[in-house]
Amino acid sequence: MSIAAGRLAADSGEILRGGSPVSYRNAKGARHAGLVLVPQHDLLIGAASVADNLAFLDPAAPFFESAESRRTRVGRLAQAFGLELGAADARVDALPVGTRQRIEIAGALAGDPDVLILDEPTAVLSPNETAALFASLRRRADAGAAVVLITHRLAEVFAGSDRLTLLARGRSVKTCRVSETTPQEIGGLLVASAEGAERPGPTTSDVPAKARQFSNQPLPSLALTGFAPNVASAVRTERVSLSLSPGELLVLLAIDGNGADTIARAIAGLERFSGRVEVGGVPLPPSGDPLAFRAAGGAFVPADRREEGLVAALSLSENLALPNPPGSVFLDRAAMRAHAEERLSAFGIRYASPAALAGSLSGGNQQKAVLARELAHRPGVLVAVHPTRGLDLASAAAVRSRILDACRSGTAALVVTADPDEAQLFGAPLRVVTRGRLSAVLEPATPAATLGRLMAGLEG
Amino acid sequence: MNRESAARRFAVAAAALSAAAAALVGLALLAGTSPLDAVRALAEGAAGSRAALGETLARATALVLTAVGASLAFRAGVLNIGLEGQFLAGAVAAAAVGPLLAGSPLAARAGLLAAAALAGALWVVPAAYLEARRGVPEVLSTILLNLVAAAAVSGLVRGALQDPGGDYPQSRALPDAVRLAPLAAGSRVTAAILIALALALFATLLLEWTPFGLKLRATGLAPAAARAIGLPHARLRFLAFAASGAFAGLAGGLEVLAVTGLLYDPFTAGAGYTGIAAALLGGSHPLAAALSAVLFAALGAGSSAMQRDTGVPGALATIVPGVLVLAVLAARARLARKAA
Repeated sequence: MSIAAGRLAADSGEILRGGSPVSYRNAKGARHAGLVLVPQHDLLIGAASVADNLAFLDPAAPFFESAESRRTRVGRLAQAFGLELGAADARVDALPVGTRQRIEIAGALAGDPDVLILDEPTAVLSPNETAALFASLRRRADAGAAVVLITHRLAEVFAGSDRLTLLARGRSVKTCRVSETTPQEIGGLLVASAEGAERPGPTTSDVPAKARQFSNQPLPSLALTGFAPNVASAVRTERVSLSLSPGELLVLLAIDGNGADTIARAIAGLERFSGRVEVGGVPLPPSGDPLAFRAAGGAFVPADRREEGLVAALSLSENLALPNPPGSVFLDRAAMRAHAEERLSAFGIRYASPAALAGSLSGGNQQKAVLARELAHRPGVLVAVHPTRGLDLASAAAVRSRILDACRSGTAALVVTADPDEAQLFGAPLRVVTRGRLSAVLEPATPAATLGRLMAGLEG
Repeated sequence: MNRESAARRFAVAAAALSAAAAALVGLALLAGTSPLDAVRALAEGAAGSRAALGETLARATALVLTAVGASLAFRAGVLNIGLEGQFLAGAVAAAAVGPLLAGSPLAARAGLLAAAALAGALWVVPAAYLEARRGVPEVLSTILLNLVAAAAVSGLVRGALQDPGGDYPQSRALPDAVRLAPLAAGSRVTAAILIALALALFATLLLEWTPFGLKLRATGLAPAAARAIGLPHARLRFLAFAASGAFAGLAGGLEVLAVTGLLYDPFTAGAGYTGIAAALLGGSHPLAAALSAVLFAALGAGSSAMQRDTGVPGALATIVPGVLVLAVLAARARLARKAA
């Protein structure tokens, strides 16, 4: 799809549009020809405002345009497509991922494209926004445009698509009309075609025993007292006090931008905070110190695996050896290689060689590699932000079961997710975060619809 | 940048060499000389005789050290553009302590070089502090510190460091016993080049083969990941920055010890900036950067001879490195775009 939209060059083959071969030198050429790709990770200009970014994305925008006209476009598009786009004058790099993705989608829809390709557009949307987006897409399709939706959520496929193509590991497995198949059939094919899916998704019986909360462990693994992140650009979070015993898992469910990810980052030492954080009984400095967090036995899986999880330009074995590579004077490369091979195979990661660059792995394998590194030293506390975002079903299941395995061997885990289905699959107690406020602890079996309303702030 | 395939390296080198050749031929034609004669004069001036080779290596000493220093900083993600100023700080320290050091020449030389390296490292401290505490980009602060260093040299050779026995704006000369003697009679090259090349090798080992080097590279390649993974990001950056300054300071000290014997104004013809160009040409790989530095030194020595013999402007020595670096950066960027 990146090739069609002019982002990447094709190795072979040709792309036909309206029966004739086309090739766009770059994304701008494709956009002006009415073909738009909404990438999974937004490509907005961080230092520019929301209004300016949307003006860049709108092919109908005049060359000279007043600031006022650019600002009004924000409100117009937000209303037209039912998307919350943030303040017109806000700098995009200060906005949460979810808002940025919505800006990218609104910009794509703005020009009424003839061909619209969306790569996992709903990963960071709330249920209501997803519904609004699908209504907009349906309208575009009814108006004669072609809409291609790339998704790993079966519900979305069956929510109004005409045809589907199932791709697994670069090969087309099945193409048919949606009316001629069922979610069960496609789900079966999907799992069957992914070899790595030897581990099924967890069931409720996998839940770390709730009784552990009442066990006589004297020391909680993670304890927050009157805790709140101190981040100017994020939503203000109310003070939180909570504690997790060894082996306990808590899921924070929130739409991006409601403060859950900031809470996780502050615990991991990546943001300042006020109040008190103790990991394994050791208080962490409120100025934010990732080294102190890790020295106390903390592990962290960041939301952005490409920017924060791995060093893409280093090899797998180098990545897995960080932050403390073996060797006294010289690097012990043999030990690094052996450690990498052991970790990579233990986590079922597909790789060419331990010397392959981390950036060359697929998203799912990258995420598993991050977990392989973070869980290598049996951490007391694991903080994971959107650990399965954007992953295929099999990889997501593998990541979840790794986290549950770690909990079973005594790691306390705090998982942030924006996906109610995902939250339920962990089968652990939930708390919903809305505009910096944590809900009461909810049962794992709380219906997804209820969770969706809580997340959107409609209930609670 | 450090992991280029052989084919990519070849493409980059080919682009660079054709650009450099074009610049050379163009200049020769402008000067009304046959390009072949110009090339012959250039090659003979750079490596045609023992004296020519010695001249090239003598010029290379400071460039190798600044190029390696720049590579260390760049690989850790520190954009140290202040090697010129750190070079001057080292030269000032050498000129200040040199005449005072007593004892055996060997001990005096060691003391002088240690002072020079320390001065170079200290000259990065204001920039490192401003970056860490106030978020001032080191690109700006180090460029400004270059100007401060140049002005300080100008003031010192007319003030505190001026030779009390003379009227010229220059410092007291080092005792002849302390100065490094040429390796061969009739040439300017000294053992300093061996020190510089040994340090280039040391820097390569440090970066590629030690746990510390791996952490440094991780910090440079992905600062956000380094922080999240739990690497001492700020400390690693500072250490690389200071090491880079120490290399440049050492270059300044060796320049005084081996080449000039004293400090004067203006003291440098851009050793720090040329070192940055050599580091860029070498992809911030210390050995490749050192090789590039020797190449630039050869161009400098050769173009002086070429101007004398054929009348082709010696400005070639400054034009070609510039063209080379631009061609390399353009070729790399193009290849990176294709690969993405």
